[in-house]
Amino acid sequence: MSNTVKNEQEPSKLRTFLSSDTFKGMLPFIGLVVILVVMNILTDGKILTPKRLRLLMSQVYYPMIVATGVFFVMTLGSIDFTEGSTLGLASIVVSKLSFISIPLAILGGVLTGACIGAINGFFHVKFKLQSFIITICTMYLFRGVCAYMTTETAVPASAAIKALDQNWLKISVTVAVLIVAWFLFRFTRIGNDIKAVGSGETAARFSGVRTDRVKFLVFVAAGALTGLAAFVNVVKVGSITATAGNQLETQILISLVLGGLPITGGAKVRFSNIIVGTLMYTVLNNGLVMLGYESQTQQLIKGVIFLLFVALTIDRKALKVIK
Amino acid sequence: MENRVLLVAKDIDKRFGITHAVNNVSLTINAGEIRALIGENGSGKSTFSQMLCGIYTIGGGTFTLDGKELHCRNQVEANNEGVAIIVQEMGTLSGLTVAENIFLGHEEPFMHMGIKDTRAMNKEAQRLLNEYGFGRIKAGDMIDHYNFEDRKLVEIVKGTYMKPKILVIDETTTALSQNGRLELYKIMDAIRADGRSVIFISHDLNEVLTHTDTISILRDGEYIDTVKTKDMTEDDLKRLMVGREIGSAYYRTDYGEPISDEVVLSVKDVSVPGQISHVTFDLHKGEILGFGGLSECGMHEVGKAIFAASWDRSGSVTLADGTQINDIPTAIKHSIAYASKDRDNESIILNESIRNNVILPSIDDLANHGILSGKKLTAFADKYAKDMQTKMQNVGQFVSDLSGGNKQKVVLARWIGKGSDILVLDSPTRGIDVKVKQAIYALMADLRKQGKSIIMISEEIPELLGMADRIIVMKDGEFSGEFLRDPKLSEEDLIAKMV
Repeated sequence: MSNTVKNEQEPSKLRTFLSSDTFKGMLPFIGLVVILVVMNILTDGKILTPKRLRLLMSQVYYPMIVATGVFFVMTLGSIDFTEGSTLGLASIVVSKLSFISIPLAILGGVLTGACIGAINGFFHVKFKLQSFIITICTMYLFRGVCAYMTTETAVPASAAIKALDQNWLKISVTVAVLIVAWFLFRFTRIGNDIKAVGSGETAARFSGVRTDRVKFLVFVAAGALTGLAAFVNVVKVGSITATAGNQLETQILISLVLGGLPITGGAKVRFSNIIVGTLMYTVLNNGLVMLGYESQTQQLIKGVIFLLFVALTIDRKALKVIK
Repeated sequence: MENRVLLVAKDIDKRFGITHAVNNVSLTINAGEIRALIGENGSGKSTFSQMLCGIYTIGGGTFTLDGKELHCRNQVEANNEGVAIIVQEMGTLSGLTVAENIFLGHEEPFMHMGIKDTRAMNKEAQRLLNEYGFGRIKAGDMIDHYNFEDRKLVEIVKGTYMKPKILVIDETTTALSQNGRLELYKIMDAIRADGRSVIFISHDLNEVLTHTDTISILRDGEYIDTVKTKDMTEDDLKRLMVGREIGSAYYRTDYGEPISDEVVLSVKDVSVPGQISHVTFDLHKGEILGFGGLSECGMHEVGKAIFAASWDRSGSVTLADGTQINDIPTAIKHSIAYASKDRDNESIILNESIRNNVILPSIDDLANHGILSGKKLTAFADKYAKDMQTKMQNVGQFVSDLSGGNKQKVVLARWIGKGSDILVLDSPTRGIDVKVKQAIYALMADLRKQGKSIIMISEEIPELLGMADRIIVMKDGEFSGEFLRDPKLSEEDLIAKMV
């Protein structure tokens, strides 16, 4: 009798598998395939034509660079809402400097981003304010600066920088960023420290991690990467208007979460979250445009998918607020 | 003790994934009985009692209280059925007042048309606090104003004021000072006298033997036996818990070994506002220096201060070579290890693997020109976790899945791996069972022989007497006594300096 009771309580293999970390890790990949297949069917195979794919890829580069920076911020268990306004402001700097020299323009963009990151990091670390609060404040602040600088007319970039709009360049920059970031994340102390802070800040501090320094550096790096993405953006669009980078922060947030990044950060983040997530978002976005939905409907659908994904993938054990 | 059966647990069962935490446990508790529930870490004591109290869902089997089957979905429902629990960890909620904590989930008597009568609630809470003799705790204060021990006392009031038929006390005494414990024992006796019952979970076999009527033993989730307390000795219980004879060499047995003259660490005039003032002492090579006192005497802060983890420290901590310790990375780099009393928050990262916890302090040593090799890290973690005989599937397992004793093994593994020469161990055996305790004492003795120096901060007096070469007793943030290792030294000698 007691044996049958035991057997009944043995969780079924399927259920064990569905709640395992392996399955949760696979979910984003499955999601990407599902979204591709569904979009392909809905658009009668148009999304997988070479021309479409090229267009699709051209939209991947700069969000992927930005997402790489935000990936580190979110691994800390923090959040950054300034990407959009940083991209806008850095794009303006890049455009203006592009008339003097291209390398200077790149440097200017990266420094602009790094400065905004430093401001975020400084307030986060020194005043112990939640990143959520600070970056919302700075988002409005720099969005304002951006709007002010573009009120008269759009800011044009030089012809020289527009001439760089070639796929090999954008691909190389993106791939280089991913490789360097992956290397830092996997094979150096800083990557390890970032994860440790995300998993348990106090214990990390007691283990010798210079938590404040790590957090500050991550915000600076995220800003700098957004600055670099601004260069790729200017190359592509040629002139900057007040809406440059609009809603980028939510796009990145959705991308990373779709890619399987736990919003609590910490030990369970995977570097692949960046790539899978950005691809998924781009496919989804393009599909919705191709299907002819209005932008309001698109937002609505994206919102529902985002909600579903967070609900499915959030780690309820790591119950804590976003830092 | 009456012979009326109060609680019947029948075939209680619970699994967590592949772990069979509680395996078909059946037992009966009479009215007016104080029943101890003992067993090693991971034996299922807490899981069993938390199913009774609605914290976990019942995996299988039934609880019957006073003839009525229990199906509690949460603690409030359990309270209404007459079951209450005082949990091992923090059981009060920050951000609420003392009174709100006491009446959490039972606010109805103070509600008038949906509006809470705070004054009436505070008044009633204060009356209860005074009645329990905890009058210094003010009902209207935020709970956050109080320390861990006082918050436990509030929990005791919360758990007992409604006169539950059965009260579960889960490993609470480790958080309490001597006075707090005495209060708790009084309450237990009162419950017994009233014909109600207590389930008392503790690792402190001494208090189990002196304050309970009967003892049930669990081992690896299985029910072993229930025995009468008066027929038992500490050794009998240890044998029943572990399933084999525990050697007599529990603590160190050597006496009279001189302490080396070589000073490895000098603490001078160290103060932390509100915690400790003008602490000065030397730590010698190969010495186990014990710190004892009541839980709020400042001894825990001494450990933090040495490790430079205090928020606002003055004074100096200097190594033999003149290095000043002013921040944690410097402390670790210069061979100081620290295991906090607050293990889950300060010693280990719960939501991380054993591997990443073990390697964290040693990461710079393991890097080759700044580059880390995953294989090397895993091998390192594996070696030291296995050296400590950590019970695990592999080093990729998350620390949050481990029992208290195994978590502590992970903490020790990382510092042994780091090769630290000065180990500051705060409450190294807190909430840990006999077998692991024995292993930790053996390790400490071994480290001492290797010439390492240990500062052992402990609320358990027998452990100080048994392990330390020298004991410093603290009171109100200052030293109140110092003793050298001596077989004639007694608990009373130390307690006299503590209070």
